[in-house]
Amino acid sequence: MNLNDCHNFGDFRKLAKKKLPSPIFHYIDGAADDEITYARNTSAFDDVDLVPNVLRGVENVDLSTTIFGKKLDLPFYLAPTALQRLFHYDGERAVGKAAKKYNTMFGVSALATVSVEEISSMIDTPKMFQFYFHKDRGLNDACLERAKAAKFDVMALTVDTITGGNRERDLRTGFTSPPKLTLSSLFSFATKPMWGINYLTKGKFELPHLQDHVKEGTDTNTSIGNYFSTMLDQSMNWKDAEKLCSQWGGHFALKGIMSVDDAKRAVDIGCTGIMVSNHGGRQLDGSRAPFDQLAEIVDAVGDKLDVICEGGIHRGTHMLKALSLGAKACSGGRLYLYALAAGGQAGVERAIEKYKTELIRDMKLMGCTKISDLNRNNLRFR
Amino acid sequence: MNLDDCYNFHDFRKLAKKKLPAPIFHYIDGGSDDEVTLNRNTNAFNDCDLVPNILASVGEPDLSTTVFGKKIDMPLFLSPCAMQSLYTPEGDKASARAAEKHGTMYSMSTMASFSIEEVAEISNCPKLFQLYVHKDQSITDDLIDRCRAANFNGLCLTVDTLVAGNRERDHRTGFTTPPKLTLESLLSFAMRPEWVFKYLTNKKFELANIKNKTDKGTNIAKSVIDYINEQYDPAMNWKDAEYCIKRWNGPFALKGVMSVEDAKRAIDIGCTAIMISNHGGRQLDGSRSPFDQVKAISDAVGDKLEIILDGGVRRGTHVLKALAAGAKACSFGKMFLFSLGAGGQQGVERVLQNMHDEIRRNMILMGCKSLKELDNSKIIYKK
Ligand SMILES: Cc1cc2nc3c(=O)[nH]c(=O)nc-3n(C[C@H](O)[C@H](O)[C@H](O)COP(=O)(O)O)c2cc1C
Ligand SMILES: Cc1cc2nc3c(=O)[nH]c(=O)nc-3n(C[C@H](O)[C@H](O)[C@H](O)COP(=O)(O)O)c2cc1C
Repeated sequence: MNLNDCHNFGDFRKLAKKKLPSPIFHYIDGAADDEITYARNTSAFDDVDLVPNVLRGVENVDLSTTIFGKKLDLPFYLAPTALQRLFHYDGERAVGKAAKKYNTMFGVSALATVSVEEISSMIDTPKMFQFYFHKDRGLNDACLERAKAAKFDVMALTVDTITGGNRERDLRTGFTSPPKLTLSSLFSFATKPMWGINYLTKGKFELPHLQDHVKEGTDTNTSIGNYFSTMLDQSMNWKDAEKLCSQWGGHFALKGIMSVDDAKRAVDIGCTGIMVSNHGGRQLDGSRAPFDQLAEIVDAVGDKLDVICEGGIHRGTHMLKALSLGAKACSGGRLYLYALAAGGQAGVERAIEKYKTELIRDMKLMGCTKISDLNRNNLRFR
Repeated sequence: MNLDDCYNFHDFRKLAKKKLPAPIFHYIDGGSDDEVTLNRNTNAFNDCDLVPNILASVGEPDLSTTVFGKKIDMPLFLSPCAMQSLYTPEGDKASARAAEKHGTMYSMSTMASFSIEEVAEISNCPKLFQLYVHKDQSITDDLIDRCRAANFNGLCLTVDTLVAGNRERDHRTGFTTPPKLTLESLLSFAMRPEWVFKYLTNKKFELANIKNKTDKGTNIAKSVIDYINEQYDPAMNWKDAEYCIKRWNGPFALKGVMSVEDAKRAIDIGCTAIMISNHGGRQLDGSRSPFDQVKAISDAVGDKLEIILDGGVRRGTHVLKALAAGAKACSFGKMFLFSLGAGGQQGVERVLQNMHDEIRRNMILMGCKSLKELDNSKIIYKK
């Protein structure tokens, strides 16, 4: 199996599984507790059906959409995810270049393995910096200033990781960064020699946004759960978010909003967008799926800020459903992460191309030529 | 296993799977993307229950209905499906003969492997022609005129195939017409020597209706997908449909209508029927199933045009539920194609006989003497 055999999400996932040592694969693939929310994030889309309109003359389809004041050529973007160089040695470099090629937004995690400065020198297309609120205020200020200086367009404060989720697959596989070699993980690493060779030879693994401030994540073996629990400030509140928002002074979003109340408060503190997200099911298991919650939130605040539907998206039709309900755009992590692991930049480009082709085809079959043609009349709930 | 062992959809499907090379089987069996809509098309019927009336002195129920101006002996007919000689050499001829035997309608796809004239010559059954609007209008015009000359009864314009669906099974098996032989598919063909023998010894594979107009789909290994994407006009709109209606000037349906709004518009442009269909789940995955949508459409326009439910029908009770929800008749594709692959004309005869018997038996069990008695009061939706 190689990249040419990958036609959909499941195929990329399969190839990624072949290429990655199992602790790393399961770090991407896993979620919290019993992974109920994780599964629901995708299956929620099946509870609603699309109702196409025919004979509309749909030769040319325009997929562009504007969020955070930036025009994207696609109605979806790449959500910020941590540690990308673990998945492929090019990591953020590969993902960023692919995003640039398709002119969509690239979300860069606070736990990125390539610096904001390097990324911004590499791509001039829209960029989002994802911010974690640390106990160490000096670290917070430094992150913010660096992202600002690197001319990032959007700052997204993640609000659903106040403590680490219970990712039991990681407990079993011993996932840490850098990887901790236990006997069983050793076997898995040994059977994927290419990954090991690349990891060891293609530049030192580091977390450039944190390394001047802490030793976690760089020299010592620390797990991601540990990072969340020991370094992030659990007393973070609305005041802190409001302060950050004004300190940033540009487009600002809260990532991980699920309740209507919180969505309204996000408007009040000056946010220009929110990601309706449960972190891909990786945090609170049993929490509601973004798509299930989308309509309520759009009804309450859709005219006041950009509502993004994030998580569980595997198909162009999933995006059409979210957009029909009123999301301004969609985003996802795994929808490009498996492809990154499967084939680096070429993999991510292939995945984006597949979604784009699906979207164009599906828009035509729906009888729509632009994203704003989509509305709730297109949908029937079962 | 042979034809006598086939009692239902799954049996015909199983036998077809044995007889047909894998790429061809999966071309019939597969849907688009994750096949969510494909599965829902049939499952939707299970969300609705039939409510029988007892002691109704039914006697022999009348199963006849009228569609496209023609009386048919049962409320189920054959959907238009492409390239039927891939399944048995006689292809469309076998289907049309079986339809005639059971007094129901046969439908011919634009991409049929026999021509309009060839099929008209061998069978007197009611005939529906399925039209695609081609980029080259002379192809469309020519097809309409030939249907009239060959005494076809109705025309349906397929409106859900502006672009080919994402049929991933076809990507994987390398389905093209004529079949492209890859190493993997070769094995599957080699294990079915009978199919290969028939395919090679019978008339050359071609898209008979359009062979003079285009070289696509005949000589070169062109996949159906490429054909659809190259030849069909994605700019097709209501004016084009109206144009076809005028030129045809007879019973006319849009095939692939799903929204109430479009159903209303179909009346305005002069359609006499619509086929509620998502192309058997082969086009837009995630789109609504015909049965989930039929009541809303029937409530809006059921008195103004004939409503045909197309997709997911596997049982006599499915037909009854569709009629109770407001359809005038149903049509089906995969089920009869599997029977065609399983046993040629005899296979299709058997499937039609089975469905006829099921519809008849269930009408009696429901306490209904005629199809008109099947109305909303005979069904309850579970949710
Ligand atoms: C491997 C992985 C790492 C992630 N890292 C981060 C992160 O560093 N910061 C963050 O805000 N979200 C992170 N996320 C969450 C994503 O931004 C996004 O919310 C999630 O992936 C959406 O669900 P999906 O994967 O089903 O599309 C991560 C997700 C995955 C799968
Ligand atoms: C193998 C196959 C080929 C088909 N070819 C055509 C075609 O050429 N034109 C068309 O309008 N519909 C075509 N259809 C769709 C059918 O007319 C019909 O809408 C569908 O099969 C109904 O769903 P069912 O298979 O669940 O009964 C085809 C379907 C199948 C399975």
